[in-house]
Amino acid sequence: MRDAIVVTGVGLVTPGGIGREATWQAVCAGRSVAGLDPELDGLPVPLSCRVPGFDAHALPSVRQAWRYDRSTRLLLAAAHEALEHAGLVPDDWDPARVALVTGSAAGGIDTLERTYRAFLKSGATAVSPHALTAFLPNLSAAGHLALDLGLTGPSLHTSTACASGATAVITACGLLDSDGCDIALAGGTDAMVTPLCAAAFAKMGALSRRTEDPSAASRPFDQDRDGFVLGEGAALLVLERAAHARARGARPLAVVAGHSSTSDAHHAVAPDPQGRGLRAAVDGALRRAGATVADVDHVNAHGTSTPLNDRAEALVIRAMFAGRPPTVTAAKGVLGHTMGAAGAIEAALTVLSIHRETVPPTANFHKPDADTEGIDLVTAAPHRQRIGLALSHSLGFGGHNTVLALAKP
Amino acid sequence: MDTVREHLKTVLVDKFEVPADKVTLQARLTDLDLDSLAVVELYLTLQEHWNIPLDDGDANNELTVDDVARTVDGLLGADTAGHDAGPGTEQTAGPGAGPGPAHA
Repeated sequence: MRDAIVVTGVGLVTPGGIGREATWQAVCAGRSVAGLDPELDGLPVPLSCRVPGFDAHALPSVRQAWRYDRSTRLLLAAAHEALEHAGLVPDDWDPARVALVTGSAAGGIDTLERTYRAFLKSGATAVSPHALTAFLPNLSAAGHLALDLGLTGPSLHTSTACASGATAVITACGLLDSDGCDIALAGGTDAMVTPLCAAAFAKMGALSRRTEDPSAASRPFDQDRDGFVLGEGAALLVLERAAHARARGARPLAVVAGHSSTSDAHHAVAPDPQGRGLRAAVDGALRRAGATVADVDHVNAHGTSTPLNDRAEALVIRAMFAGRPPTVTAAKGVLGHTMGAAGAIEAALTVLSIHRETVPPTANFHKPDADTEGIDLVTAAPHRQRIGLALSHSLGFGGHNTVLALAKP
Repeated sequence: MDTVREHLKTVLVDKFEVPADKVTLQARLTDLDLDSLAVVELYLTLQEHWNIPLDDGDANNELTVDDVARTVDGLLGADTAGHDAGPGTEQTAGPGAGPGPAHA
């Protein structure tokens, strides 16, 4: 029988703040951190959710910050916090038995854009020799982090757009199940608050246009939702087999009871209107967990605040959990959409919800529409709840659906 | 220490995270933990700051801090106004000076 995989540490660097506690307090406060972004001035939607006060040069955990893209700096800071939380010291482990799986939607795109602007202005002489090492998606996350931590086990990078962080966790579970490692570090990062990305998402109609009231712009499942707010951030989870955690005296925060990934094969960016891919992923995760829909106490929704995502996701939740509706929350109301980091950030928040028996509220939800009514959304204030089993949904452009089933140890 | 060397030390400490006490004029860049890519990055940083056509084809990490400073001196016309000219002044840069103003 497969040994259970447990989460023994999480690190968070999000628009809610630098670190696990700052992020947790922000999501529990239930107030959006979105604001006007001077760097996006002049663009159709100059809104963002940035990590406040993030200066990698001032963080002792981030060395050689000048070499890295912003997304890498965010990840390094989150990784060091996660290791500390798990009580792991890199000098004490066998580096060949530690795996690293990261995910991002866009790698070091901030560096790429800045480099290209310099190139257009001043020519090839202005191109940094670190342009590619900072941009290449594998290097910008798994590559640089493996170097920083001295890891020699398997390391790889996944990219399933906004499900990337969750896909990284699922991939890491596979490495643990196949005995490819004893410890797996899994997470996601993205720093896509850039002029090009903001312009492109605006052109697609994906962003909220509520520029006159930024803090009300991200409103998952609310009747007046009109798109997401572009965010940035990173999260990393420390995973290990239960016996390994026990042997080193580590306290499990949650169990990864099941997981599943599916594809919509419907449209490049629009979700299947019936949520068939998501439904299949929920089924798959529960089957692997040996659980049924009746066991699910809580859902940490993808909840982007776009009309189409929230409609399809609410439909699935309403249809699948008709008998015993779980509580639902959507962190993007507070944090905005952190892209490839979101799946890892929300997995980490779900772990904390289980461990702390508290569900943070969804910001800016006032009233559902016909598409989003009928789900038990936590609003206004944190909700105390003992959670036996929770699901974390993550969906990505490309029709990627991932579901993590996380349980109380 | 003159302006070029002061600035070089500041860049090595602030950007490249070299401990200040290791930065001497005789120190080789490799001894300051600058690898080949970092040395090219250093040249790019100096090129932009001083607005000079510093050729990174000559960059290697066996050079000392003073070697690099002397190369910058030469491009700035060191014996005239170079050391104290400050960054990005087209007037003090030699012929064929770099593309556009520094810090643009």
